[in-house]
Amino acid sequence: MKIAIGLINGMITAATPILLAALGGTLTFYAGIFNIAMEGMMLAGAFFAVIGSYFFNSWLMGILFAVLASLVMAVIFILFSVVLKTDEFVTGIGLNLFALGATTYFLRQIFKVKGAFSGPGIVSVPNIEIPLIKDIPLVGEILSGHNLIVYLTLIITIWVAYLVFKTRFGLRLRAAGYNPTCLDTSGVPADRVRIWSLIICGALCGLAGAYLSLGYVTLFSENMSAGRGWISLAAVILVNGNPWGIALISLLFGFSDGLGLFLQRVLPSQFTSMVPYVATLIALFVYSIRRKETVLS
Amino acid sequence: MRQKLINGLVGIFVAMLLGAGVMVMQGYQPIETYLALFNYSLGNWYSIATTLRNSVPLVLTGLSASVAFASGPVNLGQPGQLLMGALLATVGGLYLDLPPAMLLPILIFLALLGGALWSGVAALLRYWFNMSEFITTLMLNMIADFFTYWAISYWFFDKAAYSPMTPPINQNGWMPEWGDFNTSVIIMFIAVLVVWFIFTRSLAGYEWRISGQNNLFARLGGVEIDRNYMWVMLLTGALAGLAGGLVVLAGPHRFIKDIGANYAWDGVMIAMVANNGIVATLLYGLFFAILQTGALGMELITAVPSELIMVIQAVIVLVVVAGRGYLEILASKLAERRKMRERAI
Repeated sequence: MKIAIGLINGMITAATPILLAALGGTLTFYAGIFNIAMEGMMLAGAFFAVIGSYFFNSWLMGILFAVLASLVMAVIFILFSVVLKTDEFVTGIGLNLFALGATTYFLRQIFKVKGAFSGPGIVSVPNIEIPLIKDIPLVGEILSGHNLIVYLTLIITIWVAYLVFKTRFGLRLRAAGYNPTCLDTSGVPADRVRIWSLIICGALCGLAGAYLSLGYVTLFSENMSAGRGWISLAAVILVNGNPWGIALISLLFGFSDGLGLFLQRVLPSQFTSMVPYVATLIALFVYSIRRKETVLS
Repeated sequence: MRQKLINGLVGIFVAMLLGAGVMVMQGYQPIETYLALFNYSLGNWYSIATTLRNSVPLVLTGLSASVAFASGPVNLGQPGQLLMGALLATVGGLYLDLPPAMLLPILIFLALLGGALWSGVAALLRYWFNMSEFITTLMLNMIADFFTYWAISYWFFDKAAYSPMTPPINQNGWMPEWGDFNTSVIIMFIAVLVVWFIFTRSLAGYEWRISGQNNLFARLGGVEIDRNYMWVMLLTGALAGLAGGLVVLAGPHRFIKDIGANYAWDGVMIAMVANNGIVATLLYGLFFAILQTGALGMELITAVPSELIMVIQAVIVLVVVAGRGYLEILASKLAERRKMRERAI
């Protein structure tokens, strides 16, 4: 029983950053932008979350810094891909490597360390105990006691689903992807909608980064996003952007991550670390088989 | 040609200016720092030899990315292919005992094979199940990273070492040195020449190029898309594997953890900034090697952390690529205006 609860909690913890970044990615996906900069935005967020938290001794400042840093990345993306019309693929790869270089550089400049920085000065985002629910056996252990950002993520998932399918902005967002010329001629510049989608994506990736360095663990290490941005991109592509589908897929990846930790008792850690990436390949495989069947029928 | 050159130089200038801005903000001397950088990478024969040797993995992974992107497949698996090539070459060097004239070609072949096998996995997944190579290669990178880490921690672990690494390979498999110059550079130039010939002078290369530019046109013209896709993936994987193999054979002569460094991603950036041109890839690869080699000297002499170069590289890519798009628009506008004027007369 304890193992099951541990697995479920591990699943929720590991799913959160992927889900947050993927929700941002889905907005740009609907807006017709090939956005692969989530990885870099997350990394920048993770680093500046530590900066904010360390220098102001407050996790709130950490989150604020993370979101701001990630927004700066989003603004650079907007400048290049929307304003200057640079290839989105090149912009994304360039930004990811820019984030990697800049965080490594500042890690050395500001904290004088290589590799990783942790210290008692970093204030992590608190866990929340929900009154009443936490006293229910089993359910309480699963639903209560998670990080604040985990609950925020739940709210954001609902908000994004509402935003995309039920609001005027959502309609324009999807139109910007389906037929930008049509949107332009109806008096709404498609570029403006795209810029907003990127800004929201930046904020969400910043939050995901803050969760990595202030929630999941309380430290920053070089390249700590470790491919999560790419996995979230895979999640978006797999379910064609549907926010609920993304939530489900993220939980699946989270489960595979937890499973990897659990398997460490029998396998070398190098193999268990592979599990989420192998799971992504399997998910892509299932998706391709299913698509083939729908084409045939 | 001239436009490309101007664009590249302007991009590099702007990026270095931004780098200088960062240095000034942190209280360093930018001119002195840049002088230290170029002096350390180009100052004497030894520095030039080191720079050339460091350019090998950059140019080869850049070449891999260039050929892939220009022919259509979005092969982003260079990091993983490099590691698998390096691993296979190392294993060959550990267990084979042959004279250098036989061992070296075999090890180079193993490096090519390792990279091609790993990109072949992605190519087959695409061929059988229509899984986009864009994501599968990225996932295979992470898997290769952990797999090689496991291989050097358990399977081929050097019992005398404190951190994960293999024992040194057979000395007959070391790339010979001529004075300061390592012969891996020659292999690199041969690879560039061969790829240039295939890509620009052979029928297969022609088919790859038109498939990359206009897939539908190529298919209607009778190009076998699937077969070409396979060949491009295998060739680009092999090039990345060769990069990894040469790093082992020329450098530490064993597989150390993190031996791939950031070479492969730098190679992807080089391909992008070179707009997938073969000659441009070689030139930008050499330039990036100058920056990276000089970065160490810069750190030693002026205490500016060498990581700054990673930032400058990314800025170069963004500025040059954005500038290229903008210059093209500008050039076509100018041409139009000239045409209008001629018509008016």
